Amino acid sequence: MRKFVALGMALLMTASLALTGCGSSEPATSGGQASGSTEAAASSGGAAIRLVNNKVEIDAALKDLAAKYKDETGVEVTIESLGGGVDTQATLKGYYQAGNMPDIFVIEGDKDYPTWEGNLADLSGMEWTKDTDNGYAVDGVMYGFPTTTEAIGLAYNKSILDACGVDPESITSPAAMKAAFEAVDAKKDELGLTAVLGYCAEASQLYWSTGQHLFGTYIDEGLARDDTTYIDLLKDGGKLDDARIAEWAKMVQLFNEYSDPDLLVSGTYDQQVLNFTSGKYAFVTQGSWIGATMTDADHKDAYAEAGNFECGMAPYAFIDGQDTILTNTPNWWAVYKDGNVDEAKKFLEWCATNEGGQQILVEQCGFVSPYKSCSFVASDPFAQTIVDHTAAGKTSAWHWLSMKDGIGQNATGVVFQDFAAGNYTIDEFVETLKEVIEAYYAS
Amino acid sequence: MTESKSGNKSLSLGLLVVGAAMMGFALVLDVVGIRVGYRGPLLIAGALAVLAGLYFYPTIEHHRGIINFIFLFPLLFTFTVTVIIPMALGIGYSFTDWNGVKVNNYVGLANYTSMFKDPAFIWSIVLTFLFVIVNMILVNVIGFLLALLCSSKIRGTDFYRASYFLPNLIGGIVLGYIWQFIFSNVLIKLTASAFGMRNSLLSNSKTAFIAIIIVYIWQYAGYIMLIYITGLSTVPKDVLEAASIDGADAKTTLFKIKIPMIASTITICTFLTLTSAFKQFDVNMALTNGTGSVKFLGKTLSNGTQMLALNIYNTAISKNNYALGQAKAVLFFIILAAVSIIQVRISNSKEVEM
Repeated sequence: MRKFVALGMALLMTASLALTGCGSSEPATSGGQASGSTEAAASSGGAAIRLVNNKVEIDAALKDLAAKYKDETGVEVTIESLGGGVDTQATLKGYYQAGNMPDIFVIEGDKDYPTWEGNLADLSGMEWTKDTDNGYAVDGVMYGFPTTTEAIGLAYNKSILDACGVDPESITSPAAMKAAFEAVDAKKDELGLTAVLGYCAEASQLYWSTGQHLFGTYIDEGLARDDTTYIDLLKDGGKLDDARIAEWAKMVQLFNEYSDPDLLVSGTYDQQVLNFTSGKYAFVTQGSWIGATMTDADHKDAYAEAGNFECGMAPYAFIDGQDTILTNTPNWWAVYKDGNVDEAKKFLEWCATNEGGQQILVEQCGFVSPYKSCSFVASDPFAQTIVDHTAAGKTSAWHWLSMKDGIGQNATGVVFQDFAAGNYTIDEFVETLKEVIEAYYAS
Repeated sequence: MTESKSGNKSLSLGLLVVGAAMMGFALVLDVVGIRVGYRGPLLIAGALAVLAGLYFYPTIEHHRGIINFIFLFPLLFTFTVTVIIPMALGIGYSFTDWNGVKVNNYVGLANYTSMFKDPAFIWSIVLTFLFVIVNMILVNVIGFLLALLCSSKIRGTDFYRASYFLPNLIGGIVLGYIWQFIFSNVLIKLTASAFGMRNSLLSNSKTAFIAIIIVYIWQYAGYIMLIYITGLSTVPKDVLEAASIDGADAKTTLFKIKIPMIASTITICTFLTLTSAFKQFDVNMALTNGTGSVKFLGKTLSNGTQMLALNIYNTAISKNNYALGQAKAVLFFIILAAVSIIQVRISNSKEVEM
């Protein structure tokens, strides 16, 4: 009797463990196959696709988009949003290893293409490619579907500048920028401002703002969209152009001088955006994406209290005559080759060409549509300035996207922080920046 | 009797063959990528059949061995799937240029040689050892002092014990972000009004290192304290009484009686703090994310507060160099394995003495 109880127990334990064991071992050996869940859904209720989105703030809007698509076509689109400090590419690699790849996922251009090379579906020849110049293509083969346009520029609060008599259009030279800062500084107390500028060089969380975006202005500011001079130089062993970087460093020094000292070294993104939203800074060194934050549920009261002021962007002019802001598609939707390619393509086509799809993407997600035929304009505070600059041809591209992976976090971010903390003179700042960048490209 | 034995034997062999065939078929289905619903159940049924076959196998000689194997199988299986196989794969990947998705080339020992040429990695190793030594001493001293306090006759010791232990129950990431808030938003207001210092402790490598140590002690000293309290409570009362009759004061009792009597507890605590300090990751990541500038070997480094585990993580994830991260992880495993082996050796020899 005891023997049978023992046997029963052993079998039970084995069964339970074998079950869990299978759960983890099965996907590992079948990497490269379409996801089991997707396939199950596909076989049960017609077609279904899964989309991995990296902007958690537009999760609800994308779900509306999916619901509308289902109403019109009957195809289920599952939206999976990663966000809040999750490394999207690392998560996607995990999905790939587990054989759980989504049909549509996000890539950040040249940075991620080598990883996924050979796994992306060819999107050439689709209708939407004729309606935009911003698709992501490699060697003439289209891989990435653009959703929005983002801009990096010196964001300003128009009402404060008006009150100080500063014309933002005039900021096209370092001298004009300095004059603008001085004019605002003179009226700072009268207008109840905390500081002229919200510039934050904190390195552990905000390295991307300094090490990637602000450094990106050195690479692209004032150049034609296809001008790759400085990124090519950088890719060649991390070289910098001495004259240009020296002028650019003077601008960073100016930011250190006029920024809110409580924000400068140890501030946070939340603090920076909230103070700008509340009208405490005339300028802020963040890009157009803060528009979505300024109008969200947590910030809209503060924004309304500050008068829902008009926003715009001035060029980061560190050399005379620079008059562009940096605009680009920050990331693209790519289609997984072994996924449900046909349905995924139909969905992308619908998103780009269908009125209803574009309306949700623009008005609810706050996207600045890269499609020429799109007539919707987002209510986002920065949408108008992007549209205006684009119409006037005063934009440069984001070539900094192809800098070496992780350079802001692992190399340059800290240098900005130390410079802001007063540990470096301007020459030491440039020298240290050169040293860490060269070392990073060498390793 | 012989008839039933032979019956058993054929039953057993039948089960073994059928089970193996079922498992084999299921695995073949998996490898060639045919997806059918019954593949998983088939594999399990096969495994169960094999085990049952083993159980019924008529042998006196190996019976005990077979039973032992059947009982150990669940654990061995889980251990193999979750530890042994990933580790073997990991060591394999460390010799390639794996990027998390595919392997392009076999690169031999290139990952291992390149990591020692990287001053940032050497710095992480140095910093980790420094952190381990400082923490091993401080956590043990503070934990022991807290234990003395909480085992003395003052009122409310239970309350103190609970409150010192509480930080250990909070996860490292949460705890790290709480302290980051304290350092960057609370403390900074005090220092700004007192000395005009507007930069938090975390913005400078040296002070950030101290900040990490403070948080780590706060998190871990309570746990070590509990072990010391248990140790102290095992010191026999009659010995203490005899000492006090002989005229020993509190200090003599502590150094000549209590500490020698809990030597084995000290060994345990030392190694606990040693291994856990080596594996420090979450607090490090939440507090500074490894940033901070430092001059080392004539180079300016940007990872002034980055310890080994975080360095490995960042190499793989943020620098997108999975193979190099894997090679570093193998080295990390070797270091930790060495520490653990020494620990087991020392603990064993101590036990023999006692």
